Order: sequence, then structure tokens, then C-alpha cells
Amino acid sequence: MAKARDVLGLRCDDPFGTTAARVVSIRADELFEHSEGVLDTSEIERLHDMRVASRRLRAAMEVFEPCFPRKRFGAALKQVKGIADALGERRDRDVSIIALETFAEALAAPDRRGIQGMIDQLHEEQSLANERLAPFVDRRRLSDLRERIEELVAVADRRAA
Amino acid sequence: MKARKVGKLDPKAPLDENAARIVRTRVDELRSFAPQALYPDAAEAQHDMRIAAKRLRYVLEVTGFCFGAPAQTARRRARDLQDLLGEMHDCDVMLPRVQAEIDRLRGEDARAVLLRAADADDLDPTLVSHAPNRTAYRGLELLAVHLRARRALLFERFHHFWQAQVSKGTWAKLQRAVDEQLNKSKEERKSPPNGNADPAPSETVRAPSHSAS
Repeated sequence: MAKARDVLGLRCDDPFGTTAARVVSIRADELFEHSEGVLDTSEIERLHDMRVASRRLRAAMEVFEPCFPRKRFGAALKQVKGIADALGERRDRDVSIIALETFAEALAAPDRRGIQGMIDQLHEEQSLANERLAPFVDRRRLSDLRERIEELVAVADRRAA
Repeated sequence: MKARKVGKLDPKAPLDENAARIVRTRVDELRSFAPQALYPDAAEAQHDMRIAAKRLRYVLEVTGFCFGAPAQTARRRARDLQDLLGEMHDCDVMLPRVQAEIDRLRGEDARAVLLRAADADDLDPTLVSHAPNRTAYRGLELLAVHLRARRALLFERFHHFWQAQVSKGTWAKLQRAVDEQLNKSKEERKSPPNGNADPAPSETVRAPSHSAS
């Protein structure tokens, strides 16, 4: 799992709004950096890293919510939640498939059939989750979100000054 | 689970004062789930506690440096708690799914056996030996057993972990650090450095600020 990047130079006596701008900006960068290749089901850690980044961004936005203009913030947060949920749906299947494969390996071969049936179902759900995820990680849509967040960050910075 | 609202946040006020209000609310929230979550079958309270642990962990990742060692410890323990409760939740999600799959296969087999019986007066018991899914049950039943046993094991671990944190004062120490910060901020507001209160110099100087790096 990708470790959160340190936000260097934060001080406890900095205004809350200034901190908000810096933290949210870095967390947004992390989300976009991890968006490459997440639809590839043979490399499931990529999706996991983006999911963790989306959760961190969402958490940072919620912590610093009062620093942002309410309406625009709401729209951006909704989009981030949408991404996080879609990533979560895929991740749940990735993890379940691995867990069941590991369990099946521990069983005698004749006992594996029922488990294999569930693994097959999960693979179908994984494909469906990927289809639903695709629009959320579309380059253009992510760029729009990035712009929105940059605008929010600029407002938070200005308001705190 | 919706997060509890945190009052009196001010974008222009210092980070530590705002962070103290948020962390205090998040610790309260986490602890509020303990009485219920410590019952083995309280899956909903355990799930809510996991979300509360996640919220506390993330706020401490960003602001923990303002509250010293208690915050660093609490952040790690909140992460451990989140992981542990997350694994329990995975069992809670998978178990009904396995049971549903067993039920589905049983239904399918019952229909197949009935079809084979055709117009017979009664159902020949030997027909079940040809049930199409007869070899699928055992693995699924074993999976259900594994999930139940694993959940019980994880619950024991969770119970022990929580009690250990209470004994070590993990959350109480964080709460104290945060309350100290809030009291300090309150005092500073009463005696602003350039206000009219004419305080003694030592009261007007803000304590050296912690920084994140």
C-alpha cells in the first residue's frame, strides 16, 4: 500500500485554511498519480493504491470542509466519493477472489468445486465493477476534478490570508 | 455511519486549535461504540467502530504532529483497530454470501431431482446421488466453518486489543493532549498578545510551535 506523502513544513500555528490548501492539494496529486493502469486486473495493487489515495483525499476534504466554499466543495466531494466507491467495489472483488483462491488451495481437490463456482461469480462481478469504474478514471474527467480541486485550494488559501 | 459534526471550526484560527476540536470529537465517537462493539455478535457496532477508527486515523495523519507522542501512538493503534475490524467485516460480508450460494445449489438440486422422479408416486431416495451439485457443498460448508471460526478468533483478538489500549490509556492520553491544547487556546483568546487584557509577558507568548517535519 502506498504511504501517504508527507506534507512538509506544516506548522501548528498556521491558519487552518492555509493547512487545508496544502494538504488537500498534495492528497489530490496523490490520487491522480495513482490513476494509471487501475483497470488492469492482473495488477490489482495499482487499484489498491488509488483507492487508498482516494480515501485520504476524501478524509482530508472532510477534515478541512469549513475552509472551502460550500457549494463547489459539495460537488467536488461528491465526485471524490464516487471515485472512492467505484474503486471500493472493484477492490472488494479483487480481495475476495484472492481469499477464496487461497482457501481453495488448502482443500482437497474434490472439495474445490463449490468454491470455484463462487470465484467464477466474483470474476464476473469484478468485470462489471471495472466497467462501472472506467468512466470515473477517465483522463478528462480526472483533469476536470483536478481543476475543481485547484480552484477550491486557491479559495481556501485566499480566505485564510 | 455519518460523522459527528464538529462545531466552532474557524479557517482563520490556528491548525492546532481546530485540529483539537476535530480529534476530540473523533476520539469520543470511537469510544462511544465500545460498550456495544465488545459483544461478539454486534457486527453493526463493530462496523461503525471501524469507520470511526478510520476517521480518527486520517485526521491524526494530517494533524497528529500538533499533539505529540500520544497522537502518534493513537494513530498507529487506530490503524491496527481499523485493520482488525476490517477483517471481521470481510467475514461478515462473505459468510451470508456463502450460505446463499449453498441455498441456491440446494434449490437447483431439488429441482433436478424432482425432474428425474418424473411421474413416480414418491421420490426415490437414490435420486439424490445424481444431484448435479452434490460435490459442491462440502467445500462451501467448510468455507462457512472457516469464516465462523476466523471471525471468532478475530473478535477475541479485537476484544483483547481494545482492553489493552484502554489499560495503556491510548485514547485517554490523546484526549488529555487535545484538551490541554483547547485550554491553551482558550487562555490565549482571553489574553491576546495585542489585546487590552495587559497580561504578563509570559502569558502572551505562544508556546513554540510544533511542525510536521
